Amino acid sequence: MNINLKIWRQRSASKSGDVKKYRLENIDPNISFLEMLDILNIKLVKEKKDPVAFDHDCREGICGSCGFMINGQPHGPQRATTVCQLHMRAFKNEDDILLEPFRAESFPVIKDLSVDRKAFDKIISSGGYVSTNTGEAPEANSITIEKEFADEAFLSSACIGCGACVAACKNSSAMLFTSAKVAHLSLLPQGQKEAKNRVTNMVATMDEAGFGSCTNTGACSAECPKEIGQINIARLNQEYISSTLAGFLKKKE
Amino acid sequence: MSIIKLLTSSVGRKILMAITGLSLSLFMAFHLFGNLFLFVGEAAFNEYVNKLHKLGFLIRIAEFFLVLFVGSHAYSGILLWIKNRKAKKVVSSYSRDNTSGAAKSAAFTGSVVFIFLATHWSTFWYKFNFDLQGMSYYYVVTESSVGFGSPAVSIFYIIAIALLGYHLKHGIASAGQTLGIVGTKYEKTYNNVAAIFWFWIPLGFISIPVWFGFLVRIL
Repeated sequence: MNINLKIWRQRSASKSGDVKKYRLENIDPNISFLEMLDILNIKLVKEKKDPVAFDHDCREGICGSCGFMINGQPHGPQRATTVCQLHMRAFKNEDDILLEPFRAESFPVIKDLSVDRKAFDKIISSGGYVSTNTGEAPEANSITIEKEFADEAFLSSACIGCGACVAACKNSSAMLFTSAKVAHLSLLPQGQKEAKNRVTNMVATMDEAGFGSCTNTGACSAECPKEIGQINIARLNQEYISSTLAGFLKKKE
Repeated sequence: MSIIKLLTSSVGRKILMAITGLSLSLFMAFHLFGNLFLFVGEAAFNEYVNKLHKLGFLIRIAEFFLVLFVGSHAYSGILLWIKNRKAKKVVSSYSRDNTSGAAKSAAFTGSVVFIFLATHWSTFWYKFNFDLQGMSYYYVVTESSVGFGSPAVSIFYIIAIALLGYHLKHGIASAGQTLGIVGTKYEKTYNNVAAIFWFWIPLGFISIPVWFGFLVRIL
């Protein structure tokens, strides 16, 4: 198949960028989208041109490294699929494909399609962890967890932190990401120790990083490659309200 | 966590918007209850308003809170709107949108409702309280030039209330999410009650200008 690529080229965060056109011919429809970009880059290097920078690592859809906008959609047109798991058969012969980096003020462009998602790391380090004794992994059944909670926590924990939610949101809100982390940990007994401070600290860090607020449009869940649901945002809000009320009660004592 | 920190965080502001918004929706139901006396008859409506006026001081306290709630709802809304605009300066050049119309237009419908409230206070509220000029309350609403005697007022009223309903369609659902009701066993009941507030109550308000402004004159 032949495709016409339009790719956002930007040399660095401080330089301005623009869209450049590239044409690839005789592309096997069964290669992955990133393999297609590899082919383009090999071609560019051979022509002594600057290859397109894009983030990738595991190429198995679980690391959260990859991700950019394909025709205005984070991770492209296929539901619940990261861009590394997307194949060229999802497109038609002679398709125009526009590639842009994730757009958000809190995700500055490093180069081309690669953006700086350090803001997510800051949110995680402000509360996305549990206090646990180091050493050997304990016996799995030493803490019993109801199936219902284990399943829900598992669904929340599926978030790979790729940033598609921020890119999809018209406000560049990081609520889906933050809420998935909060819900995941607050649903499990191991997460209870920090539960009260976790949510307020993570929300404060999220605000400081310049992410917008959630206006409950649901665009994030629609584009999430791991199908993280809106229920997580409701859980974060529940946690936020209860931790705030607990904070007030504690002060009065 | 201090109350200031709570109210200035993004989630805190949303909670404030949810609580004030839901309170104002409840007031709307009470307001409609009074308005429906118009259909009972002139004497019944006038008597109802007189009874309210006799409460005097209590009404002033309620009005103070209403203004406070409208003000803080609008204030938080505007601040969040500014923050959200700042967070996304560059949008994709590929136009694609999966956001519902009600959610996207909440700031716009809210602004129209605010203008409507300002005119509502400066006309109906002011007349009822300070400037009756010997007219009955019923007459002010149904016949006077600030009321449904003027087709322009009736049309603006109908449009503004319809937009208010649309505002509430997103607003009440959004408040359920912000207050963490979504995902609990109360979600279904909440959504059913929400439909009363965003559809049936605005329809009740609209029925008044439709009847007194137009139908009663044609029939």
